[in-house]
Amino acid sequence: MVLHIRGAPVIPGPVRTPGELWDSRRHRIPGRFRARGGLVIPLALLGCLFSPLAAHAQSAREIIDRVDQLMRGESSIARITMDIQTENWDRSLTLSAWSLGTEHSLIRVESPQKEAGTATLRADQEVWNYLPRVDRTLKLPSSMMAGSWMGSHFTNDDLVKESRLVDDYGIEIEFDGTRDGVDVWEFLLVPLPEAPVVWGKIRYQVSKEGLLPTWTRYYDESDELIRTMTFSENRMMGSRLVPTVMTIRPADKPEESTVVRYHELEFDVDLDEDYFSLRNLRSGR
Amino acid sequence: MDDRWIWWRLAWRNLWRNQRRTFITASALAFGYLASVTMIGLWNGLLTEMIETGTNLVTGQLQIHAPDYYPERSMYATLGGREGIDVDELVRLTRDTEGIVAASPRVYGGGLVSTGDETVAGLFIGVDPDREVEVTRLLQTPVEGRAPKAGEREILIGRGMADILDVGPGAEVVLVAAASDGSLGNDLYRVSGVFETGSAGLDRSFAILPIRSLQELMVMPENRIHEVAAAVEEPFAAPALGDSLAVAVAAHGLDYPVAPRPWTVFRAELAEYASLAGAVNGIVVGIIFIMAVFGVANTMLLGTFERRREFAVVRALGTEPRSVVLTVVYEGFILGVIALAAGVLISVPVLYWLHNYPPDLSNLFGDFTMSGSVVRPVLRAEYSLDGPIYAAVALLITSILSALYPAYRAVKILPADALADT
Repeated sequence: MVLHIRGAPVIPGPVRTPGELWDSRRHRIPGRFRARGGLVIPLALLGCLFSPLAAHAQSAREIIDRVDQLMRGESSIARITMDIQTENWDRSLTLSAWSLGTEHSLIRVESPQKEAGTATLRADQEVWNYLPRVDRTLKLPSSMMAGSWMGSHFTNDDLVKESRLVDDYGIEIEFDGTRDGVDVWEFLLVPLPEAPVVWGKIRYQVSKEGLLPTWTRYYDESDELIRTMTFSENRMMGSRLVPTVMTIRPADKPEESTVVRYHELEFDVDLDEDYFSLRNLRSGR
Repeated sequence: MDDRWIWWRLAWRNLWRNQRRTFITASALAFGYLASVTMIGLWNGLLTEMIETGTNLVTGQLQIHAPDYYPERSMYATLGGREGIDVDELVRLTRDTEGIVAASPRVYGGGLVSTGDETVAGLFIGVDPDREVEVTRLLQTPVEGRAPKAGEREILIGRGMADILDVGPGAEVVLVAAASDGSLGNDLYRVSGVFETGSAGLDRSFAILPIRSLQELMVMPENRIHEVAAAVEEPFAAPALGDSLAVAVAAHGLDYPVAPRPWTVFRAELAEYASLAGAVNGIVVGIIFIMAVFGVANTMLLGTFERRREFAVVRALGTEPRSVVLTVVYEGFILGVIALAAGVLISVPVLYWLHNYPPDLSNLFGDFTMSGSVVRPVLRAEYSLDGPIYAAVALLITSILSALYPAYRAVKILPADALADT
């Protein structure tokens, strides 16, 4: 699928074997915070959102896990627009997305016309792309997971990642207080040894009111800021309060951005695993 | 009679007093010269071979890009920027530069090659098949099938990639690449052939297609290219040629800047190796002649010892010590000139032979790799002017140096003792 490669031949990505993906979830915490399933679309797109139920103070780990799982219904359907701005071109995509549990998701481009029908499927541990122009489905090699998705500032990995932050990162509260008049927590997430992740660390700000994320900053291994994701326009969707706009900005090109906007979002819809088949990936319906 | 040449004449006469000894001493120096010159020639031959095999496979010896192309190699950093250029004009201008033998335009892209079941990441090189063959060996010897044809949606892939995809000539593959308008370029291509370079990384990731086909895949107009690759006559002239080409482009009224990139930059390790080899040459030549110094000094010492009574006589007659020293040093110098003449006489045919009919040791050794370049074990000497000149200077210095100690001994002879000692 897309690698928005600027000249460089191959962007080596994090190599995740299916086994590692599986193992990465072995630390799951039990109990009421446990995910019930559902990766709604680009989990990482959504970053993490939060259940309005739990408002009392918890450990850093619990808060992050709740924010991380806000959007996890058993299943979901969403309509999204993605506006990409780069120094060389601007484009806008309309997308439909379906998800079921943590293992299955499907994203299809609805417009522009030239690319309509182009789709990405995650089923079990594999990622497939469908290219309507040549009428072929291709399996994405793991080396391409760090490549750009459809020219956006999201990587393929962002779109299909299903492991949870609490599985891969050690979490501590770095700041607890007021920023610009808003009561917030700021968390520092440092990868656990051998966690199959690309980031050196992540900083995460969560607004205490409503327990909604405000921004996430991603750093590389030398502590350099790589990109910032901001969350805004919190609204009720699918009977949950969620941020409906996510903006990602690469740190080295601040004039570039990808803005993801949710127009429709429904949880617990009627989908089963058969829906996430290669046949359906091609069918376009 | 003119006295000025008296010490030279004496030196000359002394040389021929013992012809056999002079002949043997001169031979030692002459063969030292032959050894030095041959060794430098062979080294240069090996270096040239290394540079050629290291550059004529993919890169060429000189590349021309837009100034902002490196180090990011962004697909947007084309020559002439967004407006593009008259590609034919730049290629022609490059080829017409004195010292450049061929030039070829190129477009690069990164993406995926897929059969559906198997997908691999590839580096796409878009080339003009007709011009590319003059610059590199890239298209010359597919092990299966043939090179892609201009205007066709065909692709030449490496052995490693072909094995992963399990395809051969005639198979259909999907190419996917980021396009310049932000979309996802994808299309069907036919595998025209499979190449094998011996470099695993290259054979697994490089894919070559006609330049226009790659531009279409990446939604780029025909007048936007990333590179002009050139082959030069004399590899070590590449940096200077690049500079003069940049000047020529400006002088020709082309309104875009170009950044030349010679192999000494993109294969810096080869260039470093070449300069290291130059230093090693100097050391080895030095060693050869230092050994010669002792041999020659030894025979000259014998010669002065034999003549110590004569020296005693001339000293007793009032000759200055300086003149005695001079005559011995002159003797050494003349010996050096004779040896040099002989050395050149024997070196020329040997070098000619090694250059034109180099012994091929492939049967004994097979190819080997040096600094990442595959080198054939062929003992081919390259001519150069500086090698023989350095060796000649070294030889003359040697002959003078080896005369110094005997000259000192000659001066130290006490006339009374030498004459008394019968």
